[in-house]
Amino acid sequence: MLRLWPLRQVVSSAGARFIPACQKSTAPEPAPELVEVFVNDKQVFVEPGTTVLQACAVAGIEIPRFCYHERLSIAGNCRMCLVEVERSAKPIASCAMPVMKGMKVKTDSPVTKKAREGVMEFLLMNHPLDCPICDQGGECDLQDQSMNFGSDKSRFTDIAFTGKRAVEDKNVGPLVKTIMTRCIHCTRCIRFASEVAGVEDLGTTGRGNEMQVGTYVEKMLQSELSGNVIDLCPVGALTSKPYAFTARPWETRKIESIDVMDALGSNIVVSMRTNEVMRVLPRVNEDINEEWISDKTRFAYDGLKRQRLTTPFLKDANGQLMQTDWESAFLAIARKLQGVEGSQMAAVAGGLVDAEALTSLKDLMNRLGCETLCTEEIFPMDGSGTDFRSNYLMNTTIAGVEEADVVLFIGTNPRFEAPVFNARVRKSWIHNDLKVAMIGAPVDLTYEYEHLGETVDVIEKLAGGNHPFCKVLESAKRPMVVMGSSCLQRSDGSALHFMVSTLANRVKAASGADAEWRVLNVLHRVASQVAALDLGYSAGVSGVREAKPQMLFLLGADEGAITRSDLADGAFVVYQGHHGDQGAQMADVILPGAAYTEKDATYVNTEGRAQLTRQAVTPPGMARNDWKVLRALSELLGVTLPYDKLQEVRQRMAEISPTLVRVGEIEEANFFKQAIEATKAGKTSLGKEPLVPPQQVLKDFYMTDSITRASPTMAKCVQAATEAESSVH
Amino acid sequence: MASRAVQQGFKQVKPILSTNHHEAKRRVLNLYKAWYRQIPYVVKDFDVPISVKMGREKVREMFNKNKHITDIRTIDLLVIKGQMELVETAQIWKQRPHIMKYFEDTVNERPADFLGKFYDGHDP
Repeated sequence: MLRLWPLRQVVSSAGARFIPACQKSTAPEPAPELVEVFVNDKQVFVEPGTTVLQACAVAGIEIPRFCYHERLSIAGNCRMCLVEVERSAKPIASCAMPVMKGMKVKTDSPVTKKAREGVMEFLLMNHPLDCPICDQGGECDLQDQSMNFGSDKSRFTDIAFTGKRAVEDKNVGPLVKTIMTRCIHCTRCIRFASEVAGVEDLGTTGRGNEMQVGTYVEKMLQSELSGNVIDLCPVGALTSKPYAFTARPWETRKIESIDVMDALGSNIVVSMRTNEVMRVLPRVNEDINEEWISDKTRFAYDGLKRQRLTTPFLKDANGQLMQTDWESAFLAIARKLQGVEGSQMAAVAGGLVDAEALTSLKDLMNRLGCETLCTEEIFPMDGSGTDFRSNYLMNTTIAGVEEADVVLFIGTNPRFEAPVFNARVRKSWIHNDLKVAMIGAPVDLTYEYEHLGETVDVIEKLAGGNHPFCKVLESAKRPMVVMGSSCLQRSDGSALHFMVSTLANRVKAASGADAEWRVLNVLHRVASQVAALDLGYSAGVSGVREAKPQMLFLLGADEGAITRSDLADGAFVVYQGHHGDQGAQMADVILPGAAYTEKDATYVNTEGRAQLTRQAVTPPGMARNDWKVLRALSELLGVTLPYDKLQEVRQRMAEISPTLVRVGEIEEANFFKQAIEATKAGKTSLGKEPLVPPQQVLKDFYMTDSITRASPTMAKCVQAATEAESSVH
Repeated sequence: MASRAVQQGFKQVKPILSTNHHEAKRRVLNLYKAWYRQIPYVVKDFDVPISVKMGREKVREMFNKNKHITDIRTIDLLVIKGQMELVETAQIWKQRPHIMKYFEDTVNERPADFLGKFYDGHDP
């Protein structure tokens, strides 16, 4: 409701400009459809259907609450939001009561205060006094509200020494720790699981004092969004298992950053203490992640402390990688590069690399005469390929799915490739009657969808207009076609991309979508891909295989796309990155870089939105910020890059593509028609194999990159998910 | 008036402490000895990362810096200043950085170029 206010103001002021002065009324003009409410005698106008609690928020008064949450359905069971309403016999639960005309709400009357005190007293009667050992301490709603609204003395005397209510703790997997005695039955976790995450695992048993929140039978909370219940829990009943007993909120510094575990670029807050990442929490961004983050985002941070490269390494005469210093590593590279032609070099960028490093690497290699710069993730390059931004972006935007009425997923499993996006699709599916269809292996998306088939010929039929689903697409007002980048990894990727673009253009033309609406979407899997394509990297390593280079530079390339057999005999491999993973294993020289929590860097998400990570901790050991490594190396190779400062690198990025420095904004990509016209000469034909996304079940979700592969928590998750598969429940 | 002032300038100056060179030398040596004896306590009290030997060498160096001075009044003034320093040190009115300031010349200069800063590990 509140969101509509500015819009209304804009509309009314624009209209006012054309009204002659004589017709203006001097009386205040409340819009006719608004309801007048008095909050503590302050007059506010709200839309009908607004709850009393929201009306109070409009008036600037926050009502204490436990069970109410903006993004969940209303339960009205905690009773903390009781307020007095004039001419009402009892205090009313403001979160569930819609406003009525002329309602007079009193938020700090004696009746309201007494009601709150009473509710607090009942809640605390069965809540343990273990705040000193509770992980929620310092950020506990119950703690805060008992200080603010609770009674100053206790009437709780356990005369019979029967003890407080005690509830058995549940084991719901390796991420969420439960101390169920602390539970106040707000049911936020249950509502989150069933509404947002789409898993019906949580529920209540028993009634009254015997009520228990749990999973009925002992089982893992099988969701990729399960960590969010930790944030939702107003008390310490659900806390983070990996974070248990490690830090207090007032000890940590919070740094606002961006996540790189998927291509969405979820906004996060990194909590830091003593140069260590203590935990990762979500940050609200309505355009991307609302306030949810996936479990990989939240819990993979312990991978940042393991398997790290902390010093440069250099292969000695015996073929053993030995620790060395920066100067000798650089000199070794410079010596090897003497006499190597630029055409004999190649560079491959991995999935976690920031735009600054990508820019520096490209500038460095180009100065050496090398033009073979690739990304590990494949994207079709023939035809218009990556020439048009519209070809590789999620053009509808993540928030755009809320306006869509039909979504067609092709060869992707958004639940695991972009969990937060999937939650948003589910939200639209619930609230907007979004129709979802899917081509590819049937997977559990947590909502119902029409499965059109597994093979590519379904797309062909759709693009040709001879498939029953075409009617649905054509009758749609705002259709979306979402193609997963995982399905473009196949050998017929470019034909597939062409076919899907044709389909999208046909749907756009046939449906009633307005000119501004974009149909074609590509859902990327890795954080660096869009920035790399913006900077002019060629997608996929086929160029390296053809060139058989003497020298290969791997920038965080850990997926093993290139092996020694793809290179010339005795080729020289330099690896720069933060984890000792596949890339480092095949390297002759290793240059340690910084992970995403350790540098100020730019990442461009799958919508084409540039966002900045902020440095939370310093890189470990001798590791350095990635673009600085490349800048320093360039000096020793005699092709000094013309930037010494971060701002200068960003200036250079702006020269290449201004979108890379417009932080937080989306530059709309167009030219769909031109893109498809340029692609007409598609050579490859479509394959017959079914479209199978690589992440199909929950256990595939947790370990996908070098950070998550190094994370013990993620390993435990894989183990638990594997066990849960074979469990009888 | 002016001529009288000039005449006074040529007169024998009033001594500060010492009347002759021998006396001035005694004062210098006494001050040196006092510093020499104080050094172990300085090292201990201030918990500075220097040894007693290094401290004494530094004292010697500071005295040697002024060994070319022959003017008795100047020597006396320097002795007075040296005594003030000693008192400030012995009473711990100074703090660690004040002591370390004597060793300023041993600090390596921080590199200013990109590569030097990169090797050093601080942000350019």
